[in-house]
Amino acid sequence: MVRKIVVRLFIAIILILLYLPIVWMIVFSFTDTPSFSNWNGFTLKNYIDLFTGQSSNASRIQEAVVNTLFVGFFTSLLSTILGTLGAIGLHAIHNKRIKAAYSTANQIPMINSEIVTAISLALLFNIIASTFQISGGTWTETAIKLILAHTTFCTPYVLLNVLPRLQKSDNKIYEAALDLGCTPSKAMFKVVIPDIMPGIIVGALLAFTLSIDDFVITKVNVTSFETLSTLLYGLKSGKHPLPADIKALFSIIFFIVFAGIMILYSPKGKAKEAKK
Amino acid sequence: MRNTFRKMLATPYALFMALFIILPILLIAVYAFIDKDGAFTLLGNFKDLANEAALPKVVKNSFIAGFATSAICLLIGYPIAYYLTKAEFNRTGVLIGLFLVPMWVNFLLRMMSTKAVFNVLGIPMGMGTVIYGLCYEFLPFMIMPIYTTIQKIDKMYLEGAEDLGATPIKAFWKVTVPLSLPGVLSGLTMVMIPSITTFAVTEILSNGKLMLLGDFIYSLKAYNLNMASAISLVLMILLAISMLITNKFNKDGEKGGGLW
Repeated sequence: MVRKIVVRLFIAIILILLYLPIVWMIVFSFTDTPSFSNWNGFTLKNYIDLFTGQSSNASRIQEAVVNTLFVGFFTSLLSTILGTLGAIGLHAIHNKRIKAAYSTANQIPMINSEIVTAISLALLFNIIASTFQISGGTWTETAIKLILAHTTFCTPYVLLNVLPRLQKSDNKIYEAALDLGCTPSKAMFKVVIPDIMPGIIVGALLAFTLSIDDFVITKVNVTSFETLSTLLYGLKSGKHPLPADIKALFSIIFFIVFAGIMILYSPKGKAKEAKK
Repeated sequence: MRNTFRKMLATPYALFMALFIILPILLIAVYAFIDKDGAFTLLGNFKDLANEAALPKVVKNSFIAGFATSAICLLIGYPIAYYLTKAEFNRTGVLIGLFLVPMWVNFLLRMMSTKAVFNVLGIPMGMGTVIYGLCYEFLPFMIMPIYTTIQKIDKMYLEGAEDLGATPIKAFWKVTVPLSLPGVLSGLTMVMIPSITTFAVTEILSNGKLMLLGDFIYSLKAYNLNMASAISLVLMILLAISMLITNKFNKDGEKGGGLW
């Protein structure tokens, strides 16, 4: 009995510590002050200003949100395509050496230090830029650079989410589709892809969230661009590092993320997952 | 062979990996051994690194922060992972989700909020606050692999141990702990090296007073990519060695329960 209370208390304390800064920020997003300590009365002003574009950082925030979502969307798209095709191919390859080499290369960005991956990509982009005489500084060039860099560290997670689905699914269904006259590509779209769809969706979402959250690789490779992470980083040394509108923006993001994860981990979500 | 079509699908990502994973790593190995003008130098960049006045302190701080963070994450993370596998504490599985949510909140935001809270509470910035921030960021990476390995342990082993006369505490130390070691090891690798090579956390939570390896490499990037490559190469070699050791421990080739 005592043990139970102690354990509960311990878990509760750690959870409180994990959530304290986030909750504190959310609380102070509902009052009109850039600080973390002077409560000025409840107001929705920060949120309204954020959406009407009247707050102090509104234009920077809007730009950063657009850039972040743009890069996130195309990273997710590209890494989902590459990762899904890669997983299907890897699953069909039976040569042990090729298989091992493929999975090892895939795991490098997951294991390697982010800063090392970032520097290695910076070297590559430098060489590409000097070979093709590109400045790399325009919006489009920066966006392409970031999408490629993000795809590099996101695709491994897609592949590793799709692969277990393939291993669980029955190879014979694909074979049967071929026997019944399907072309390989038709069998792929009609049989294999629908079968592994849950894995593809989770992979795509994961790639999207990893991309919009990334800081290290973005910061090292970014030229003329602001994402949400670099925007935050730029604010870090101000007197009040988290201005009111930033608090409001990230509170909204937090609620979306929290709802999403709780749905995924709720017993209902689990049951749905199991059915698939 | 009717498999050919499917095998071909591996090609686009293979090409992508060759260009964006393998080639960049080779570039690091090349840049570590050439100087700014592109001439070969065997040890030039490493000598420059050794002459950097800041480096000894950075390495020392990284060791302190890395070991402290891993130790604290293990001490907190193991009991949490263990008790979360028990139905009495985590009936619906929602609780484990609660430990994961902060991972999806931008870590800069978490660090800056933490700093703001520390400021309000009057806690001075320094090594202590840096280690706190690193533990905050990396605790889930310790909990998850341990949680998944403990969950996979066959309950029969524990029942067997108790039937044969072991007390629950003895059964825990003799059965659960050894069988969860692969999870502990992958947790440690997921905490130790990332914690010393992350950047910005130290800067934010020490008011720019302290630097760990990640901050150091980032600062080098601005003026000397060759030195940045040299130190990255060293880090990659250290990482490869630690991976080899970890894999040796997981003899049966079974993964120690990844994060996902």
